[in-house]
Amino acid sequence: MIVIRLEDLLYSAPLLVLTSSGLLALIAEAAGRDKPVISYYTSLIGVITSLILTFLNLGAGVPVFNNMILQGGYAAYCNLIFLSSALLSIVLSRSYLERMQYHRGEFYVLIVFATAGMMLMAAALDLTIVFLGIELMSICLYVLAGFMRKKELANEAALKYFLLGAFATGFLLYGIALIYGTSGTTNLVVISRSFAQLSGNSLFLIGCGMLIVAFSFKIAAVPFHMWAPDVYEGAPTTVTAFMSTGAKAAAFATFVAVFVRVFDIPGTALSSVLALIAAASMIVGNVTAIAQNNVKRMLAYSSIAHTGYMLSGIAAGNAEGEQGILFYLVAYTFMNIGAFGIVSWVEQQEDRKLKFDDYAGFSARQPAVAVLMSVFMFSLAGIPPFAGFFGKYYVFLAAVKADMTWLAIIGVMTSLVSVYYYLRLVVLMYFCEGESDVAAKVPLAAISAVTLAAVLVILLGIYPSLLVDMTKGFFKI
Amino acid sequence: MDLYIIVFYLFALITLASAAIVVISKNIVYSAFALLFTFFGVAGLYVLLMADFIAVTQLLIYVGGILVLLLFGVMLTTKVIRVDMRTATVRTFPAVVIVAALAGTLIGIFWSTDWPQSPASDGFERTIPQIGEMLLTSYLLPFEIASVVLLVALIGAAMIARRERKAL
Amino acid sequence: MDIQPYLLLSAITFVIGVVGVLARRNAIIVFMSIELMLNSVNLSLVAFSAFLGDVTGQMLVFFVMTVAAAEAAVGLAIIIALFRNKQTVNIDDINILKW
Repeated sequence: MIVIRLEDLLYSAPLLVLTSSGLLALIAEAAGRDKPVISYYTSLIGVITSLILTFLNLGAGVPVFNNMILQGGYAAYCNLIFLSSALLSIVLSRSYLERMQYHRGEFYVLIVFATAGMMLMAAALDLTIVFLGIELMSICLYVLAGFMRKKELANEAALKYFLLGAFATGFLLYGIALIYGTSGTTNLVVISRSFAQLSGNSLFLIGCGMLIVAFSFKIAAVPFHMWAPDVYEGAPTTVTAFMSTGAKAAAFATFVAVFVRVFDIPGTALSSVLALIAAASMIVGNVTAIAQNNVKRMLAYSSIAHTGYMLSGIAAGNAEGEQGILFYLVAYTFMNIGAFGIVSWVEQQEDRKLKFDDYAGFSARQPAVAVLMSVFMFSLAGIPPFAGFFGKYYVFLAAVKADMTWLAIIGVMTSLVSVYYYLRLVVLMYFCEGESDVAAKVPLAAISAVTLAAVLVILLGIYPSLLVDMTKGFFKI
Repeated sequence: MDLYIIVFYLFALITLASAAIVVISKNIVYSAFALLFTFFGVAGLYVLLMADFIAVTQLLIYVGGILVLLLFGVMLTTKVIRVDMRTATVRTFPAVVIVAALAGTLIGIFWSTDWPQSPASDGFERTIPQIGEMLLTSYLLPFEIASVVLLVALIGAAMIARRERKAL
Repeated sequence: MDIQPYLLLSAITFVIGVVGVLARRNAIIVFMSIELMLNSVNLSLVAFSAFLGDVTGQMLVFFVMTVAAAEAAVGLAIIIALFRNKQTVNIDDINILKW
């Protein structure tokens, strides 16, 4: 039996390079004590190299490592999201952590390994890899959430995230066990071939239901969202940026891979369950976000709402929905990470300057940053011509085409509600008096990272077809 | 009655009773020790299912590793004299969810009766060579990922729990 | 002997674990309950594996155990860090942690 072929290694080069850079950064951290900058550069080089290799690998998907993972195509597209999220988070983290006095090399190592976990999740062709990828990502994130270990809020966030994450793992595994028991395999391709006859088996459907519960925890969909606001608030802001974009995108990528690409869900009971979860997330997320005074918490609830929008694409289950989610994930990643990046510039030690009022009159002192923040807020609200608008347009269009007009109507109504709280921040920045300013001099790298995110949000808003055309061939297996 | 069935129900009883004690007991030390019996009971069931390798790993990892870690956790975080005495309250919503999950799972299992009825007791076959071979061939990638997971856990745990080296 | 008793036993243990997570307020007991859930899953997997005559299920159990050990290490580190700052592991004493 052939164990590894050369192609396996070549096709999974982005993953291998990234993992190696994580190991190198770890060694660098151990060797050069108190010089976290070495780990910073090592992981940065690793992520950028991996990004370049992924671009070269965007062609058709190829199953590698004995049909364990799929590399290229869909996986490569998702890798671009995770790697950009990791890249921006790493760049933003350096100055943020230095300011908060928690700058340590392990931070970057954990971000890199979490990204490797995400890449595995999106690439998984076997439920074993789904499980291991989720765990690799989650264990890194538990630690990152509690990285500011002398801060009570961070400890509590980490504990809550850990306990609920492990709880969700229990459901994930029970679901996998039931699917394995009824289908006799853990390979998703094999399961998809016999899906027609399996979907009549109630135990198999319970297994799928348990997977939905587990994934809903990871993407923070109502009613499994209760960890998100506390964890997003307690974690370091740049980690929140990473969690709410990369980790959410990874969970969605797996969700799509398992439930759309492999299991043919449209028309089954599972798709109506997903539609209900989507509707609940949109309503709860948006309505609760209005009441928030803390910007980080507002963005946490807004991220629950965005989960709802994206889930309606999965619930619709048609080609438009799939492409819509993939576009939405990219748009959401850039606009959200940009918004959190700016929040991290304004934030000061001991959780000061995180309130809405702390942004009053921001434009007077930092006109450029205020413009960037407004771009992200407009895009999150779904106002054209920014990328967020087209994301919503595609998923709602998909819902209408799948005869779920009610879901699209709820989506549009709740989006209108969301305009209120996003624009509240913009109004505060431009039309109110205040002393607000960024906490310290922001380094050029961080400014260019956020500017890049803003440029992409605008560019994808004007030319959404750049991405949408790319995703067309991803759902044939 | 068949000896196999008697032994099965013995282990099943140990597992269930001790699992219930873990959850119900007001004394956290009792819970930890009850968990020991659950792990043993489950290991016994693995032996009945002819999973020799898994039975041994169960003892090594769960009893030898995880349980010891848990006991350290208990010792480090509880004042030994005044053990945690907080009473538990189940809220209605979780209770409904649990009952639904229980009913759903059980009914599901009863419904699907067309199981392959070829129990492993047909003859003892060692699984260790098979598992060993698979770990290094078709499961090579998961095996490597598992090692990365362990590495990450090591860094993470050390990072969070260690004492302050000096002012950063 | 049929597979049903094994599956029933596993389902009941799983539900006991779920009850423990939802009802108990001590972080370490909640964690023990999660271990119960994982054990019950492992039991199901091994039972399926034995009755399907396929060793894949046991492979999965092996990985579940590895990950459980990793999670235990990280989880207890988090619990200890919290205890250092706050001297409690009761979820009710943690103000922001409302489930």
